[in-house]
Amino acid sequence: MKRLVYRLAAIAIIGAALSVTTESFLTVTNILNVLRQSSLTFLIASGLTLTVLTAGLDLSVGANVGLSACLAGTVMQSTGSVALGAATGLVFGAGIGILNGLMVTVLRLPPFIATYGMLWTLNGVTYWFMGGDTIHGFPPGFRALGSGYWLGVPVPIYLMAAFLFAGAVFTRYTTHGHEVFAIGANREAARLSGVPIRARLNLVYALSGAMAGLAAVVYLARLNSAEADIGEPLTLPAIAAVLIGGTSLFGGVGSLLGTLIGALTLTLVVNGMNLLAIDASWQPLVTGVIVILAVWIDVLTRQRAEATI
Amino acid sequence: MRGISKAFPGVRALERVSLTVAAGEVHFLLGQNGAGKSTLIRILCGAHHPDEGDILVDGVSTHLRSPADARRLGIAVIFQEFSLVPYLDVAQNIFLGREPRGRLPGTVDTRKMHADARRLLDALGLALDTRTLAHELGIAQQQVVEIAKALSQDARILVMDEPTAALSDHEIERLFERVRALKASGVAVIYISHRLQEIAAIGDRVTVLRDGRNVASLDASAATVDELVHLMLGRVVETTYRSRFCEQPGEVVLAVNDLFADNGVRAATLSVRAGEVVGLAGLVGSGRSELARAIFGADRVVRGSVLFHGQPLVGGPVRAVRAGVGLVPENRKADGLALSRSVQDNVLVAGLRTLFPSGWYRASAALRVVNDAIARLRIATPSPERLVRFLSGGNQQKVVLGKWFVAGSRFFIVDEPTRGIDVGAKAEIYRLIEQLVADGAAVLMISSELAEVVAVCDRAYVMRDKTIVGELARTELTESRILTLAMHHA
Amino acid sequence: MRSIPGIGYLLVALMVVFAAFGSGFATVANGLNIGVQSSVLLLLALPMTLVIMSEGLDLSMGAVVSLAGVVLATLLMNGRSLPSASAAAIGVGAAFGLANGVLVVGLGIPPFVATLGTLGIAQGLALVATGGQSVVGVGDALPALYESRPLGVPFSIVIAVAAFFVFRFTFRQTRFGGYVAAIGGNRESLVLAGVNANRYHVGIYVLAGVMAGVAALLLTGRMSSGHPTAAIGMEFDAIAAVIVGGTSFERGKGSLGGTVIGVVTIGVLKNGLNVLEVPSSLQVASIGVLTIVALVIESVLQPAARRLWRSA
Repeated sequence: MKRLVYRLAAIAIIGAALSVTTESFLTVTNILNVLRQSSLTFLIASGLTLTVLTAGLDLSVGANVGLSACLAGTVMQSTGSVALGAATGLVFGAGIGILNGLMVTVLRLPPFIATYGMLWTLNGVTYWFMGGDTIHGFPPGFRALGSGYWLGVPVPIYLMAAFLFAGAVFTRYTTHGHEVFAIGANREAARLSGVPIRARLNLVYALSGAMAGLAAVVYLARLNSAEADIGEPLTLPAIAAVLIGGTSLFGGVGSLLGTLIGALTLTLVVNGMNLLAIDASWQPLVTGVIVILAVWIDVLTRQRAEATI
Repeated sequence: MRGISKAFPGVRALERVSLTVAAGEVHFLLGQNGAGKSTLIRILCGAHHPDEGDILVDGVSTHLRSPADARRLGIAVIFQEFSLVPYLDVAQNIFLGREPRGRLPGTVDTRKMHADARRLLDALGLALDTRTLAHELGIAQQQVVEIAKALSQDARILVMDEPTAALSDHEIERLFERVRALKASGVAVIYISHRLQEIAAIGDRVTVLRDGRNVASLDASAATVDELVHLMLGRVVETTYRSRFCEQPGEVVLAVNDLFADNGVRAATLSVRAGEVVGLAGLVGSGRSELARAIFGADRVVRGSVLFHGQPLVGGPVRAVRAGVGLVPENRKADGLALSRSVQDNVLVAGLRTLFPSGWYRASAALRVVNDAIARLRIATPSPERLVRFLSGGNQQKVVLGKWFVAGSRFFIVDEPTRGIDVGAKAEIYRLIEQLVADGAAVLMISSELAEVVAVCDRAYVMRDKTIVGELARTELTESRILTLAMHHA
Repeated sequence: MRSIPGIGYLLVALMVVFAAFGSGFATVANGLNIGVQSSVLLLLALPMTLVIMSEGLDLSMGAVVSLAGVVLATLLMNGRSLPSASAAAIGVGAAFGLANGVLVVGLGIPPFVATLGTLGIAQGLALVATGGQSVVGVGDALPALYESRPLGVPFSIVIAVAAFFVFRFTFRQTRFGGYVAAIGGNRESLVLAGVNANRYHVGIYVLAGVMAGVAALLLTGRMSSGHPTAAIGMEFDAIAAVIVGGTSFERGKGSLGGTVIGVVTIGVLKNGLNVLEVPSSLQVASIGVLTIVALVIESVLQPAARRLWRSA
């Protein structure tokens, strides 16, 4: 709890700084925009959080979103059915997640290598599939999912809230969630306590993929277009959100609320950079530095905790 | 070494221990597990600092600040876990960190290195290509490489820790030849082993430690096996921790038949009945933990059967736990607990699917179960939320037991249940074990403390060399009988 | 060296398939083509072998190559001499290598995260400095060097082969080379032997950075320009080549010769797919599949085959 409070304080500080240094930060439009963008990042990062909790990682989420969005969009346009397209995106995303899980549990590949390989494979397939084309023009009803408002609040925020709730329920009120934490905290102890390791790992990677599929559909609605490279800039912010939120790369510690706060923090930083007219090319750099700092804090925290034994 | 004392938190490992070794002498260091041998050796090689006492080499008092100091003085230790780098070759391993320099700065004179390595191996009688990678060597060969490594540092005092534990008879003979050659060249050898018959083969003198103190130092020729066993055990203490031993055991809960596992266990046969505490005794390396893990399904069974209540127990820990078996591992911190999680989380983890079969975790019910367990086992913790890493050893062990209690286990395999636990907590653990079997459960207890086995168990099996070599009924269960079975080489 | 046979068969099989189905594959000109295309990759895969042997990873290589290329092109465009511009490019690579080493060894940050972070930083710097545009006008010296053919062999192949022999010598004949396997296989014995393992460990990452700078030289020479995303993804090919070549992530197992075979295999695969007119985007996917196949062979099929062999 204490750690979350520190992070909320950081958000407050950043927000305050931006309100002072720019005139457009503290406007309703901007705040809602920030919340909307954070929701999109959160949707991707939520499934990713589960894999990190098991001391694993899913580096393929961004590419997964990209390909799933392209597939969903293509199906939507060629069949004229939004539902079919959305379902395609979801199922495909989950399928990729299942494949990742199998690589980790059956082939025993280290998660970062397996998902890294998947990342590049998906990238390649996306470029081949789209071939430089762009699809755009989707029905307004569908677009509302990404760009619309309901009761004055952007729709994605409701999704964020819904999945925050679902994720919190999963991690705290299901036995599966508890077992996920146990696996991350000490895998061998969990195994010797009768926790079905492979089943749970398959589950978290499948969920990570499914959330990527869901995020893909929402992104499609938001951007109203899809092309081969939409997934590329998504992985690093998702990882950053998870790490900033306090979930440890070493497993067993973390929360979805933390990831949400992490997503908010990162979006605030990027938003601030945009408002301060800093070139967008600086963003990957800043995100990279933030990731390193967040991991460093993670390492230090762990070292300090272990020193007390 | 003179008057060496060393204390660790909670335990006095050594109390004014002295050890005198002459050049060209093979000096056996004997003692039960926990008698202080390892600590003494670690002090000798510079890994630990003694609280008092001093070390004299060639009559000159020295202060060993680090392993490097020890090495410079010619002290080399060959531990049981070898320190070779798997994908470097033999010569590279021997000269790691001391490679002969080549012409260009930073290069190695590989020809000289291999030639020197060849010479060392020849002196030790090992015909092996120096370009062989370490991971391709057999255990016996690795050992020779380790000896060569020590010799290459001009070792004058060589400590060997359980050198024959993993060797075949033939390889043991070769080792003895090498040791005799070392003797002849003036090297002093400190030899730790539980195989008393080896003393007659190569020993010159023997020192016995018990409970961190010197008990005796005598010539090898003057020592008989019986006398040495007696010295190691000391005064026989007739205490029992059980208020009532099992008169009429119930049905057979566990039946293990001719079990072979890929961790080395061979031809193991035993049975445990309801209401019994069955001991599994033996020396370090005899295979007890391996047998426990094979029964539990943590390691793979190759041949033979494990029947639990008449049904085959297969499918790994998941099935074992579901069937009602619980394992309290030897290394509770690494394998039994998630230190970064709370008492509550640790206590519940094995019982989650029993308590909440639908998958929905109800916090109120969970808390009730946890508080009940804490009360029953008298776990000293300010709250269930306390992280387990802050608990004392005894309470951590109770959390592990509590985990199986909550999971509803009826058969408990406990591996070294009271290791690293203070006396008061030990008594509580025994009380808990007694309660378990009084309720009709069964316990298989692994212990290296002979007194504990005798005091707590209804009967005991003894293991040696990864197989079961004997069974002792209640009336036959004495420390000396266990030790004799555990050590005698047929 | 034991795993080379398996991968070698794979390479031969690929070559046979492409020769059969692709017209123009099995020619000397095409062979040289493969060699030239693969040379940059080899420059990256050789140090990556050492990194992976030490149980590490360097995801930043592609981005660092791009950045070094941009620096090189910019300096050349501003009239600097080739030697000094090259030194600067290599310096950039070394600096990032040092940063990686400090993060991984000094701070204890897991390698893939640390290098993922430096990837972002290198990428960011390259993008900011160029605004996303190519840097042209590098003059004639570098392209001429690249196009030259010492002894009739294309310059890039000469450099690649030279690099291989330098690495091989380093690996077998220097202390550093031996310690790389020790860091991955049994770091404690190295420390117990009194060696400053940290210094050598950081050195592995610095070497990777330096080689990234050298690779930038070749790449910029080939393209006659520097582009901020020129080498994106090359680290993936390098990692794939190393894994296909039999180096593993644990215990310090590795083989430079295997990496060469891995690089050639990937080069053959890409070239063959080109000849068969498979789109380049699918080529990336196929490399991913190739890596997985190689890993499956190493972790599943080989132990099974060994067990069969032993029981026979």
